[in-house]
Amino acid sequence: MAKSGLDRTMDAGWDGSPGGASPEGLSMPFEGAVRAARSRRSGARRPRPSGWLTAGLILAAAAGCRRDEVTHFRVPKTSPAPALAAMAATPGAPAAGELPAPPTPGGALRWKLPAGWTQAQGGGPMRYATLKPPVPGKVDVTVIVLPGAAGGELANVNRWRNQIGLPPADEAGLAAARKTLRTGAGDVSVYDFASEGQVSTRTVAGLALVEGSSWFIKMTGDSSAVGAARPAFLELLGSLRRDVR
Amino acid sequence: MTSARHRIWDLLTSLKLTIGCLAALMVLVVACTLAQVHLGTFGAVERYMRSWLVWWDIPGTVLSVPVFPGGALAGLVLVVNLIAAQARRLDLSARKAGIWIIHAGLILLVAGEFVTGMYQTDNQLIFREGETTNFVQSPRELELALIDTTDPAHDDVYGIPERLLARADAVEIHGTPITLRIRRFYENSELFNLPPGQAAVATAGVGTGVLVQEAPPVTTDDRMNQAAAFVEPRAGDRSYGTWLVSNALGAPQSFVHEGRTYLLTMRARREYLPYALTLKDFRHDVYPGTDIPKNFSSLVHLSGRGGEERDALIYMNQPLRHDGKAFYRASFGEGDRLSVLQVVENPGWLLPYVSCVLVTLGLLVHFAIALRRGLRRQAQARAAPGPVTPAGAERASRAALGGLT
Repeated sequence: MAKSGLDRTMDAGWDGSPGGASPEGLSMPFEGAVRAARSRRSGARRPRPSGWLTAGLILAAAAGCRRDEVTHFRVPKTSPAPALAAMAATPGAPAAGELPAPPTPGGALRWKLPAGWTQAQGGGPMRYATLKPPVPGKVDVTVIVLPGAAGGELANVNRWRNQIGLPPADEAGLAAARKTLRTGAGDVSVYDFASEGQVSTRTVAGLALVEGSSWFIKMTGDSSAVGAARPAFLELLGSLRRDVR
Repeated sequence: MTSARHRIWDLLTSLKLTIGCLAALMVLVVACTLAQVHLGTFGAVERYMRSWLVWWDIPGTVLSVPVFPGGALAGLVLVVNLIAAQARRLDLSARKAGIWIIHAGLILLVAGEFVTGMYQTDNQLIFREGETTNFVQSPRELELALIDTTDPAHDDVYGIPERLLARADAVEIHGTPITLRIRRFYENSELFNLPPGQAAVATAGVGTGVLVQEAPPVTTDDRMNQAAAFVEPRAGDRSYGTWLVSNALGAPQSFVHEGRTYLLTMRARREYLPYALTLKDFRHDVYPGTDIPKNFSSLVHLSGRGGEERDALIYMNQPLRHDGKAFYRASFGEGDRLSVLQVVENPGWLLPYVSCVLVTLGLLVHFAIALRRGLRRQAQARAAPGPVTPAGAERASRAALGGLT
């Protein structure tokens, strides 16, 4: 049984010393206990009856302030920092202590539109293109391009999983879920996730790294609609090629 | 001066003010219910019930004007009115004990809502069967997390709430040499690829290729703001560039200072727990031959402080209460393997129950006192010489009802 372990301090006026470095603060070994390192003022007087309103206002202000504080938790590692590892593995990632170089504009991708599909340029924030499959039901197909690794494959896949209510996957789960498609634009990682809870949604997505830019071709929507459009979508992914002008 | 003080005192103790406050609260409840269509439950409650004033945005301008007292103001005035009226009209005697208890119950009821509004936290815990987790996350609020991942055994996670990002120019991260300068914060935003030739605000990370445009805040329950911020980590005189952080990017970015690696990521606000919960089994039972749900339940294992190890079954209206938090069943997914728990922490959760008990008790006490007084008068009337007339009987009946009329 995995045990949790963490310390917690609350900054901004609660700690007696910066960063919770007081004996109550950081570095407390976890034994199933979290202590908020809020120093308690000893000898606090009981408010007089005439001061109840003032006390109430102070309590209200304290409650409001507490929600705006910087929190600090010391948590045991559950897995190596995957996103960082993904970034480090990316060609051109910054070396320690250096700033990353600005991304170079990558070449565009082209694809063959399956029969019956329609395409519009843009169509929303960050969208390179919006596609529409000829299937009934709610389904949204987007092509998004971001410079660089865009944070890494695991973080982006987990974002998609989060969008349909699935918990994050780890590196092992990512590798198990990944299918690789060889295309004219290089290898494309393909993922297929379904959430079959109260709202049945499904996401099928391809991820390609082309000349320093990350391309995300994603279809998401009702499970039935995505399932109907999936063969044509995979056909579209297979037709990806670089746009050589 | 004295007459002005009298007028204020008369106003504060006025029954009309009580009626006015109750009427205002009724109007607010109706308006809040209707507003949920566009604002969502949380937004409507914040705007109508937990605000001092209800503001109206004048169309075509950036101006807002208050048009009605908010629930907080109406509740506060009602409490002051109840206390003042009680102090003025009621004498501290056993005869009025019931009225005192009823008033105390009502005051406690309104005070309980203030405590809830100020102190309640509402989070979610999401896990699959077999998974163990030790944090809950907000379904609405975001934070910028600065995570020191250097130590091989643990991470130091510093969470800067979005409300602090919205108003602070710089946030000093105590316990680290890092100060984050907040160059710009967007409560909600849309991200676009940076058009060619346009200069980026960010000088480091993925944001160097992204254009950020402000968007109106999300108001419905099923959507979350896409917050964004340009932040500049600094250590002393050294700058690590300006980074774009956004929950839309969803991917941590990192920099290294004096051998320590820091991740930057905008995400749902987290609270780590001093214990862990493991989802052992989730059940979604249906009536035979139908898809109609019969039972949802989550069997969890709690690994707590001091070696506490126990199982708990969470099902409809039967939350797990532990360490001041209540874990309710909320949702499920992934082929009935995923369970979502609503995690509520409210130090004043008992107050409504206590106030209901007080009001009930006060009514019973008052009725008992009035009944006793009425019966005694009836007995006195019977004992008195002379014929019983209809008017006398009516007086006796009224006396029996006593202060209840």
